[in-house]
Amino acid sequence: MKEKITMPKLSDRMEKGVLVAWDKNVGDEVKKGEVLFEVETNKVVNEIEAPCDGVITDVYFEEGDAVEVGKTIAEYEVK
Amino acid sequence: MIYVDAHTSDTYLNFGCEYYFATEKRLDDTVFMLWQTTPTVMVGKYQNALEEINAEYVEKSGINVVRRMSGGGAIYTDLGGWQYTFITPNSDKTIEFDKYIGPIIDAIKTLGITAKFNGRNDLIIDDKKFSGTAQYIHNGYTVHHGSLLFCTDIEEMVRSTTPSDQKIISKGIQSVRDRVTNIKDHLSTDISSEEFKKLIVDYIMGHKANEYVLTNEDKERISALADKHFRGWKNAFGSSPAFSLERSRRFEGGTVRFRFDVKKGIITNCKIDGDFFGTGIELIEKALIGTSYNKADISASLDKIADEISIYRIDKNDLVSAAID
Repeated sequence: MKEKITMPKLSDRMEKGVLVAWDKNVGDEVKKGEVLFEVETNKVVNEIEAPCDGVITDVYFEEGDAVEVGKTIAEYEVK
Repeated sequence: MIYVDAHTSDTYLNFGCEYYFATEKRLDDTVFMLWQTTPTVMVGKYQNALEEINAEYVEKSGINVVRRMSGGGAIYTDLGGWQYTFITPNSDKTIEFDKYIGPIIDAIKTLGITAKFNGRNDLIIDDKKFSGTAQYIHNGYTVHHGSLLFCTDIEEMVRSTTPSDQKIISKGIQSVRDRVTNIKDHLSTDISSEEFKKLIVDYIMGHKANEYVLTNEDKERISALADKHFRGWKNAFGSSPAFSLERSRRFEGGTVRFRFDVKKGIITNCKIDGDFFGTGIELIEKALIGTSYNKADISASLDKIADEISIYRIDKNDLVSAAID
């Protein structure tokens, strides 16, 4: 089963977040709770964690991209 | 609320202390710190440090450079100001500013000063900023920190955070003076920086002596975390995102233009052109690839090939100044 990771809405006024760092690459196995990527919005750096175990299959944005809340950033195969 | 005082004005140890309480000594209650630094420029976690600071001035003046774990822009701090920190468990991982900033505004109100939150996470007095705030959320803990300008040297702030051009600096000082203010300038009764600290700590802690005193073991870990994550060129500059820059400078022998790609502080590509006369240009380009983008390393890389380069009326120091200053 594939799972989508979207840009989370981290505060009421957040519309976009900048994907500032990828901690994982396509093909990486990730464990629930591991940091996938980091998002900066409104002077806050947030670590976005994997919601469950799996393998990253696709990433749609690069470091430095501003991504709207709700857009798919990556997909992964749930284990 | 638990009060922690690292009893140091070492920038890196204070950042190490914050990080320690967010990552290793994770307490169930909120930790509050109020701390000072010797002159320091603090850049945001994903800022390009080289673009945010006047590297030459900062180096010459012995000003620390540190990369925060939090977002936002570059700020200047010195012993004329205070930094406050709240480190708190945050299981829902949401961003909140009001719950940290509210008590700071209330504490400042006891001095007869009406401060406001301007919506960009700055605190202002009469539209002038005296405090900036930022956060990072790490593994279920939020670290919220902010600066409080009490009697900070505004001119040093501008000199260390703007490009080296003297005209820009003069204009910058005026423009920053119009936008930034020190709390001390708004007091009806003069108080010392230490009295200000006591007032803020007492207000936030509610006069309760709930202090966690750092043990020697804590201090050792804090020092190790400070060295690993905050101190040194690699942490401050080597973690900058990838960037490209173009610089040119005119000398008696002609104009020299450098184009660099820099990744994690290391030059990954270098092209040189201009209207100078000389040989060995490809050697310079080659020698600089793999060199850290800082003055000492660039100079050392050029020294190694000095015998093979000959440019009419442009010497090694000229090249270094064209590449970086």
